[in-house]
Amino acid sequence: MPDAPDSLLEAPPCASDPAQESLVLESLPKEPAFRHSRLQRLADRWSHLLFLACGLLVVALIGGILYFLAARGVGAFMPLAGNTDKILTLKEVFLSTDWDPNSGKFGILPFIAGSLSVTGLALLIAAPAGILTGVFIAKLAPGWMKTLMRQVMDLLVGIPSVVYGIFGLMVVLPWVSGKWLSDSPAAGFAVSAAILAVMIVPTIVSLSTDAFESLPLTLEEGSQALGSTRWQAIWHVLIPAARPRLLTATVLGLGRAIGEAMAIQMVIGNNPQWIALMRQSTDQTPILRFLFTPAATLTTELVQELPNTAAGSTWNNLLFAMGLLLYLMTMLIILATRRLGRQRNA
Amino acid sequence: MLSPQTPETKPVKLSVRNMDFRYGEKKVLDGLSLDIHAERVTAIIGPSGCGKSTFLKCFNRIHEVSSAVKVSGDMQIDGVDIYRGGIDEVDLRRRVGMVFQKPNPFPKSIYENVAFGPRLFGMKDKATLDGIVEDALRKSALWDEVKDRLKESATGMSGGQQQRLCIARALAVNPEVLLMDEPCSALDPIATAKIEELIVELKENLTIVIVTHNMQQAARVSDYTAFFWLGKLIEMDLTERIFTTPRERMTEDYLTGRFG
Ligand SMILES: Nc1ncnc2c1ncn2[C@@H]1O[C@H](COP(=O)(O)OP(=O)(O)OP(=O)(O)O)[C@@H](O)[C@H]1O
Ligand SMILES: [Mg+2]
Repeated sequence: MPDAPDSLLEAPPCASDPAQESLVLESLPKEPAFRHSRLQRLADRWSHLLFLACGLLVVALIGGILYFLAARGVGAFMPLAGNTDKILTLKEVFLSTDWDPNSGKFGILPFIAGSLSVTGLALLIAAPAGILTGVFIAKLAPGWMKTLMRQVMDLLVGIPSVVYGIFGLMVVLPWVSGKWLSDSPAAGFAVSAAILAVMIVPTIVSLSTDAFESLPLTLEEGSQALGSTRWQAIWHVLIPAARPRLLTATVLGLGRAIGEAMAIQMVIGNNPQWIALMRQSTDQTPILRFLFTPAATLTTELVQELPNTAAGSTWNNLLFAMGLLLYLMTMLIILATRRLGRQRNA
Repeated sequence: MLSPQTPETKPVKLSVRNMDFRYGEKKVLDGLSLDIHAERVTAIIGPSGCGKSTFLKCFNRIHEVSSAVKVSGDMQIDGVDIYRGGIDEVDLRRRVGMVFQKPNPFPKSIYENVAFGPRLFGMKDKATLDGIVEDALRKSALWDEVKDRLKESATGMSGGQQQRLCIARALAVNPEVLLMDEPCSALDPIATAKIEELIVELKENLTIVIVTHNMQQAARVSDYTAFFWLGKLIEMDLTERIFTTPRERMTEDYLTGRFG
């Protein structure tokens, strides 16, 4: 036998076995019209490895970040090597609204409540607005407007959050304060949530437009053939049919909102004692006080204080624990919403 | 079935005169004129792409949902012009129901699919709705298969079941006219037979226009048959005459499969 073939694929049909030869001749054209070169096959194998490596890298990164946050975060709750600072109990951290690190009070409930409030408010505005705009673009707008609005939304998605923050700080805050609050400061949840909503609306619009456009036209025909109006078709058939994808759109908006720091930090007022302040003041209705008391969130406190605390101190360690909490909260919300979507869809 | 010996006693329900139909600039139907009688079954036959579905959709103006179309000539329901008369398309569609060529159930439960139309018209009473749903599902020969899983999603049904669900959905709103576009193309012989029985039963108080590629079916269920070719009406007459003594050579060729 001369040169052994490199691989089975390249092996010529064995000439010494006539039965096998005829079989091969029947099933394959003698000269295959198209054949992968060795180079292509090599590239194929390598690209497979490359994708695998990228995937593993991402998993490792996520795991690494989680580990890093956890490793530093536990320092607040148990003595680590070289840490002589105060050790906290879970109760005084997670179940207390009292935040005054300089006198040893480390209750982070105000930040958790702040994050949930501002995110919740932002979604309350952004989800309906985004979904309805999606309906409008996908189903009602004339062709040229559809193209225009899609492009505008895609552009808006890419605007850095600091820009929204500056706009909020320089334009919205003074305007709200002058127009509605007789010049008392406007910083707080209302303006923060509004800025946040504007920030995430383009994401929700973009994704819900896709959701509506991917629905088959036959659904709308089916509905209208039964005597529904166009709006009834949208309300009773299209929106329910798109619900899983609308939920995904909202969750992605939520993900962006809950992790946002820069934009909110500039307009929220950064006041960790907001719950106490809100309780004390009596000059307005509770809802207005809630909306316009300077407050703080997990993210704003992180960016605010991380540079100012000494590494290894309880305060600093606790900030990492707050980072971890933010991470877990986001995960939890996404998982819960996924499950909800799947159940509703079943 | 109506025979040449008995004179037509039913009034004209739908009338079409010199109707042209265009998708954009493309002319799909050309100079159609015909009458469809109340409480009769009219079958539309013809080769694929000759405009049968398009013609059917003219009666409930449903193509306006998805395409830019132009209709000229006259189409009337009970003497009222469908396109220019005092009737708007929503009212029209409540009176003229349709079963589409491809089944299009809503991604809702089986029950909700059938209850959809009645709910639109403000029907809220649970017991009445239950009754309507059961009745419609029985008529479309689906009840026995689905009565224990009314809450399950309709999109998980087989193609033939979906088609019968769409028939039930259309019947639940009690239309005056029912347009059926190849309703049996995805059905097995048993379900087909049931639907054909249903059609015969329904025409007691309903006008039915059915598109079919199944000549035996047209012969079995219809009183009148119209033969379309390339957007033109070649011939329309009593089914019995069309299948025994057609006037046009083309009709005969088509029916005997010698078409080319
Ligand atoms: N939405 C549309 N836009 C443009 N042209 C269309 C549209 N729908 C159908 N047509 C064209 O109109 C003609 C008639 O189509 P139609 O669906 O009415 O045929 P048909 O007789 O129902 O055929 P089949 O038996 O295959 O269902 C075809 O040439 C088709 O290409
Ligand atoms: Mg058709």
